[in-house]
Amino acid sequence: MSQSQPEIAAGTTIVTVDHVRLDYHKEKEPLPVLVDVSMKAASDELVAITGPSGCGKSTLLRIIAGLIKPTAGSVQVLDSEVNGPRDDISMVFQNFVLLPWRTALENVVFGLTSRSDLTEERKITKAENALEIAGLSGFESVYPGELSGGMKQRVGVARALATDPMVMLLDEPFSSLDDLTAERLRKETYTLLISPQTSVKSVILVSHNVEEIIELADRVVVLSSRPAHVVGELRVDLPRPRNKKSDEFFQWVDRVYSLLS
Amino acid sequence: MNLQIGLVALDILSSWIRMILALGLSILFALAVGIWAARSSRAEAIILPLLDIFQSIPILGFFPFVIAGIYGAIPNFVGANLAVIVLIFTSMSWNIAFGVYEAVKAIPQDYIDLLSVTKASAWQRIKSLYIPASMSRIAYNTQISWAVGLFFLVASEIISIGQGAKTNQIPIPYGIGVGATNFPAGGDYADYALLIAGIVVAVIVWRYLFLRAFALWSEKFKMMEEPREQHKDPITRFYSYVNHRAVSKLFLIAHDVGVSRFTSTISRFRKGLKYAVLIFFLLFGLLLFSSVLHSGGISLGRLPSVSQLASVEAGVLYALAVSFVRVWYVYAICVVIGLPLGIVISLNFKLYDTVSPILEVISSIPAPILLPAIVLVPILGQSSEAVAAIVIILAIIWYIVFNVMAGVRTLPADMKDLPHVFHVSRWAAWRNVYLPGALTGFVTGSITAIGGAWNALIIAEYFTETLPKGNTVLLTQVGNGIGKTIVIATNNADYLTLTLAVLSMTALIVSFNLIVWRRLYHHVTQRYTYNR
Repeated sequence: MSQSQPEIAAGTTIVTVDHVRLDYHKEKEPLPVLVDVSMKAASDELVAITGPSGCGKSTLLRIIAGLIKPTAGSVQVLDSEVNGPRDDISMVFQNFVLLPWRTALENVVFGLTSRSDLTEERKITKAENALEIAGLSGFESVYPGELSGGMKQRVGVARALATDPMVMLLDEPFSSLDDLTAERLRKETYTLLISPQTSVKSVILVSHNVEEIIELADRVVVLSSRPAHVVGELRVDLPRPRNKKSDEFFQWVDRVYSLLS
Repeated sequence: MNLQIGLVALDILSSWIRMILALGLSILFALAVGIWAARSSRAEAIILPLLDIFQSIPILGFFPFVIAGIYGAIPNFVGANLAVIVLIFTSMSWNIAFGVYEAVKAIPQDYIDLLSVTKASAWQRIKSLYIPASMSRIAYNTQISWAVGLFFLVASEIISIGQGAKTNQIPIPYGIGVGATNFPAGGDYADYALLIAGIVVAVIVWRYLFLRAFALWSEKFKMMEEPREQHKDPITRFYSYVNHRAVSKLFLIAHDVGVSRFTSTISRFRKGLKYAVLIFFLLFGLLLFSSVLHSGGISLGRLPSVSQLASVEAGVLYALAVSFVRVWYVYAICVVIGLPLGIVISLNFKLYDTVSPILEVISSIPAPILLPAIVLVPILGQSSEAVAAIVIILAIIWYIVFNVMAGVRTLPADMKDLPHVFHVSRWAAWRNVYLPGALTGFVTGSITAIGGAWNALIIAEYFTETLPKGNTVLLTQVGNGIGKTIVIATNNADYLTLTLAVLSMTALIVSFNLIVWRRLYHHVTQRYTYNR
């Protein structure tokens, strides 16, 4: 389903977060949330951002998405600066955020609303394809209220994929699912996003689940508590598929925990 | 110019005393009835439908009977005040009673077992468990009841003056409703303005001195399981009230599907409904009998003939049709203004924080007191239809605005980000996300607003001012309308017209609720409610 995109060599930097700072203004006193955060995500790479709860990792993700404007610093995708939401960045939310008054298919089509280059039929075909690769064929006309949590999130993934993004942002996508469903969806989502079947080049995942991070990430960026800055960055060079019961796996988990505490 | 500050203060004070007495009465009633219904399934089967009937009917229409009945029996200062207090009570108490009922129902079984183990007496249970457990709901529902009660206070004071005017004595000498009609009648607009300013101050002071303090104090009685931040956001609080209360349980009958929380109650509710209707008509019959008796008019030999009944009913139905159209076009205006306004305000946090307290204060000024001022507005004031429309708008638009605001606010923050992530156009975002997201709140708000409009008609369609000497001056009257019919019938002690008018109006509202609103409400809550 990927459309013609410029060839990007493996290892090219896709996303650059450059000295980002964010202040909230409360009673004119600037309250720093993020201080001098820099990170990169290269092509074919899944980068995980973690940190203590409330540290601002989801905020950082929203800055990358162009939803929040940083007080200082900038975000680039390839060579262009992110000045607001854009077509080549897409997002999957923790609580799915499906419109309850739209069917699964209509929810995916909603993600394509702004694409004036596509006809209505083309949008529907794209949405059907996206649902199919997310494992939801046959559920097109079902309303979100009738879907299980895992299936809702599959719709969320399909909606994000349908726009053919280069960068996929995942905001705690598995944390409101039960363990078994999360486990399965985690594997499938990774395989899907990293495969050449989709247009996605880089994935940035926000999560507080350290085991999930070690299972999925190529690199981990650890943030401190507020005001958040980067306290460590690890390259997880465990071979895939990763065995969650192996000693090496636990050593990596411990390494991240020691940075967190 | 001499401002009569003392008189204005006396007006406000008198009204507040009536309100406080009515509130005290409402709380006592709510505790008795709520605890009884919650602890006895037989009482529950009758009390719940009865409360529901009372909250679904246009209470103000029944007021002429209340004042004639009570003032007829006790024709002095005490009787008139009692009638006003009873009316305020009828507007305040149902919602508090439902609150107590739900609070006592929600007490975890462990607590009740504990009291059984310690062999506590009935009174000890009430004192040490049921009352404390109800406290936060009482406080929380009191804030709503107070705003509703103010409207009924003013309306009933105004109607009472009309009553007394016939006999050249004003049974209620002081009150904000009295001041709001007497000052402008005597050309004293300075004191009228002072009165309105005084009411605004009183509303704000009372909110912080009592209502808020009461709510905060009641927090300490909360059971651990309940979230504690309920009181933080007044709009959401308002919404959760309207969502559960203003929408009649009558809606749920014959629709066992959906709202599972009420399902067990519904079957009992249905069983008790016929008794509740019976009790309601008994009460109404008693009231009617008492008012007719005291007006000294009718003996049993002079019952109306069928043709007389038919001709009066024909007039009533025509007036009802006119008012029906009025209610709906005014409602349409409120939607056009209130729906976008509510959405815009709640999408912008800064706007929400600054505007919502202001709206809250404006909304708690009872609309009827503004009528004499509206009449003075150039051009618009000349048209009685426009005056009626404005009074009704001021009385009901808040239900739509606040419910829409609360509905949009309950959408998760990510939902508001969604259109940005997929950078959807503003119009597409409204059409796909904000308007459907506001729909549940909008429908509950609409049900309440239409109910409020029928009550407001009684003030808005026909308004007389009473001069200090007891003469009345007609300030505004629409061409035709059920509110006008009711007020004129009240002033002429025409109980035949009054009875037919009130019953026809009630029948119309109740059947409309059952046929139209119930279906819509079910459809909307099932598809358009956001829960993940």
